[in-house]
This record gives sequence, C-alpha cells and structure tokens, in this order.
Amino acid sequence: MGTSSSKSQGQFGSLFISTLFIFIGLITLYDTTSYSDRDSQVFPQTVAIILIITAGTSLVTRLLKPSNEGGFGEGIWWRRVLFISAMFITCFAMPIIGFLASGVIAFTSGLIAAMHDKWSFRTVLIYGCSGAIIMVSFFILFKFILFVPLP
Amino acid sequence: MVGAIALLLLAPPLSKVALAFGPVEYFWLSIFGLSLIASLSNGNLMKGLAGGAFGMILSTVGVAEISADIRLTFGSQVMIGGFGVVGALIGLYCIPVLIDLVATPERHLKVEENVKSVRISEAFKIAMRSKFNLIRSSVVGTLVGILPGAGGSVAGLVAYSEAKRTGKDHQKFGEGEPDGIIATESANSATVGGGFIPTLVLGIPGTPPDAIVLGALLVQGVRTGPAMFSQSGSIVYTFIYGLIIATILMLPAGLLIGRYAYKSIVTIPKAVLVPTVGFMTIIGTFAIRNSVSDVIIMLCLGVFGWLIARFGFAASPIVLGLILGPIAEQGFVQGWTIGAATNNLIGMFFGRPISQAIIAFTLMTLILPIYLAYKKQPHKEV
Repeated sequence: MGTSSSKSQGQFGSLFISTLFIFIGLITLYDTTSYSDRDSQVFPQTVAIILIITAGTSLVTRLLKPSNEGGFGEGIWWRRVLFISAMFITCFAMPIIGFLASGVIAFTSGLIAAMHDKWSFRTVLIYGCSGAIIMVSFFILFKFILFVPLP
Repeated sequence: MVGAIALLLLAPPLSKVALAFGPVEYFWLSIFGLSLIASLSNGNLMKGLAGGAFGMILSTVGVAEISADIRLTFGSQVMIGGFGVVGALIGLYCIPVLIDLVATPERHLKVEENVKSVRISEAFKIAMRSKFNLIRSSVVGTLVGILPGAGGSVAGLVAYSEAKRTGKDHQKFGEGEPDGIIATESANSATVGGGFIPTLVLGIPGTPPDAIVLGALLVQGVRTGPAMFSQSGSIVYTFIYGLIIATILMLPAGLLIGRYAYKSIVTIPKAVLVPTVGFMTIIGTFAIRNSVSDVIIMLCLGVFGWLIARFGFAASPIVLGLILGPIAEQGFVQGWTIGAATNNLIGMFFGRPISQAIIAFTLMTLILPIYLAYKKQPHKEV
C-alpha cells in the first residue's frame, strides 16, 4: 500500500510540477505582450519558450514512461508545517511587534518542531537560555555593530 | 596559488584575453554555464534545463536593465526590486534542508571516532592522486576569473563538469567524491588571482570584491592600467604577494578552524541548531535590503525548492539561471542590437571564433551525457 501510494505520489507530483512550469512559461509569454520595447521582450520570450519545451518534454516523457521515482518520503508532517508556518508568522509579525519578539516565535517553534527527544526541565532551561543568548547576540551584532535597521 | 602566479607573471597578456570577449561571448559563456546543468542533473536533463530556464525567468522579474520596462511584477510594488540572488540562494539551499531536518529524529551529522590529527598527509596524498585535476581546475579558474562579471559563478561549474567527465568514478560525484571537491575549490580559489588581472590592468573589476578594491584604489588616486606595474609597482606587488601569503596561511587556518568548528557544530543538539540556522536565514536575508518582503520571498522560494526537489527538479539549476540570467540577457540584447544594426545577426552570434569555441563546448556538454547513457544501455546482438 505504501509503495503504490509513493509511486502515484511521485508520478502525480512530477506531472504537476512539469505542468506548473509550462503554465509559468505561458504566463511569462502573455506578460511580454505588454512591454513597450522589443529589447525587453526578446529574452523573456526566448527563455519562456525554452521552459515550455523542456517542461513539456519532461511531462510527455513521464506520461509515456511512468516511474516510481520521487515522492514526499518519510518524515513527520506536523513538524514541517509548524516550522514553516512559524517562519512566515515571524515575517508578518516583524513590523508590528519588532524583530526580537517575532524572532522568539520563530525560535521557539523551531525548537518544538526539531525536538524529537523527551522534554525535561533541564532541557527546557538549557535550550531556552541558549536560544535567548543566540537571538540577543545576533540582534546586537546586526543592529548596533552592523547598523542594520531591524524593526 | 595558480591564480596568484598567473597574476604575478602573466597579467598584461592575459588581460588581452578579457578584452577579446564581447557581449556575444558573454552570452554564450552564460549558456555554457547553464549547459553544465546537464552534469548537475544526474540523468534528469530536461528537468535540469527547465529549472535553469525558470531561474532565468526569475532573473527578469523587476525593471529591465536595457529599456526600464517593468516585467512580471503583476502590479506588485514589492516585486519591482526583483529576486535577490543571495535571498534566493539562502531560500533554495537552506530552507529545504531545515524542513527535512525537523521532520526526522536522526542526527544531522555524525562524528568520526578516534580522529587523532589534522590528517594533512592523507589530504596531501588525495591531492597528489588528483594532481592533473588540481592543475587543470586551477587554470580553468584563473582563465574564467579573468572575465569580468562571469568569474566565480562559472569557474567552479566548468571545473566540476570537466572533473566529472574525465574522472574514473564519475558516478560518485555529488556524494563527497574528493575529485569534485578539489575541482570546485581550486577553480574557485584561482578566480581570486584571475579576477585581479582585469582589475589592475584594465580597470574593470573581475569579481564583486574586486569592484571594492578598485574603488579603494581610485579613492587613493591610483590609476589602473598596464603602466601601473611600473609606476605603482609597490601597490601592485603588495596585492600579489599579499595574495600568495594569504593563500599559504589559509592552510593552517582552514585545518584548525575546520576541524574544531566542524566538531562544535556536530555536537550542538539538532533542536538548537535548526532554529538557530532558521533565525540566521531570516536576519541574514533581511539585512540585504532591509526588507521583510525579501524574507517572505526567501521562504516562498525555500518551500517551492523543497517541493520540486521531491520530484526530481533540483535547486542548483534554478540558482544558476538566476545568477547567469542577467549576464546572458545583457549579452544577448547587446549582441542582438549590434547584429541588427549591422544586418549580420547570424554572423554576430555564430561567426566569431571565441563564440564558436564556446558553442562547441556547450554542444559537447549537452550531447555527451546522452551519448554516454545510450552507450551504457545493453544492445541486443543481431
């Protein structure tokens, strides 16, 4: 069951990505019709055509010769989703609550997502303090030494 | 070291090579760089080329350099700045790795037991076994480094591709094969000396750090050119011998720092390493243009890169396309403009000797993997 599921995953995923690239190529070709200068059009048009041809060839090849290559493989999904969601939330929260506060969101969520061992009071204390030191150090380095205007 | 020696002995004649390269040659050199995707794609040539084309499309987003048209922004103010190369690199290379690291309990790296010394004799023996590869890659790096603006990104690829093509165990490339590492590192290091040649002799920076060096020289009132070697010899030879000394000092610095830094990184628990690296990707991407939008774009590209990697589309061709796209476009459009003005478009793109040589290398790089794969297939006897 797992094997046939991963086979169909790999097949469907590859076809989907190839189709997506063809779509991107078509969007690019459509966008070039609005440019005022031929010099701006020529290169994106050429590259879009190459993208459509190569992605189309990959799509046809995969349809004619289905393969079990590819797939999402093993791994715990909620950890992946938590990690990436936290990174995005950090970005959107940054202008509102500041860099350091939003960094705490990213770091804490990353810590929870990456921690596969059992939690104990000691690990919470050590990892939490390490994280705080790392974040504050980087914040001071970038804001006060490199003069990056962090929000 | 080869780059530094070339700078010391051959700077003026090698600078003429840089002058012989026109816009069309730069265009074909970029296409050659992209054709090396064939060697990076491990059998998925069409997917690699599609990734490269996608990367080139990403490089066109924003304001067109030649005519200032706004391209592929779909009305978004944020996209007018385009895709930054550094942000895209961080997103496409770091984020997919982090996504996979959080999902599995296995340790990120393993520590070798009983490592007693810096293993310099072992490293020296490996380098001597690949001495031809080492010298060839250094020469490639020096020659490609001479070309302003094209150096670092193409040199490593050309050297790696050649090493893989001529290596005995080309199947092992991409899994830590020493020949591949020797090829890319020696070519990359050689571009430093090569890049100084057009900087000092022609006043054209060979690589981005050379632009900063050139700016510093101009501020100090130093005039670059062939006469610089006789009139400001103290400055020129300071650069050259400083480069040689720095190259020699890199060995003990690299051996000590590499050994202890590697050990430190390996012993850090994954639960602390992953959020630290994630935090660094955010702060590093933000610091480029002080923009939160760049961080969001970095994350989007990272997730996209992870997704497509599951189904055979690698991130490297996309990054290559993004880096080489502007060079290819500028060469293409300038060549097109000149060719159209002289009514000799075909001759402009295909008639110049250096272009013809690069086209020949490009075709060889594209066709050779297909031919080798065909040769390997068992054929039925008639």
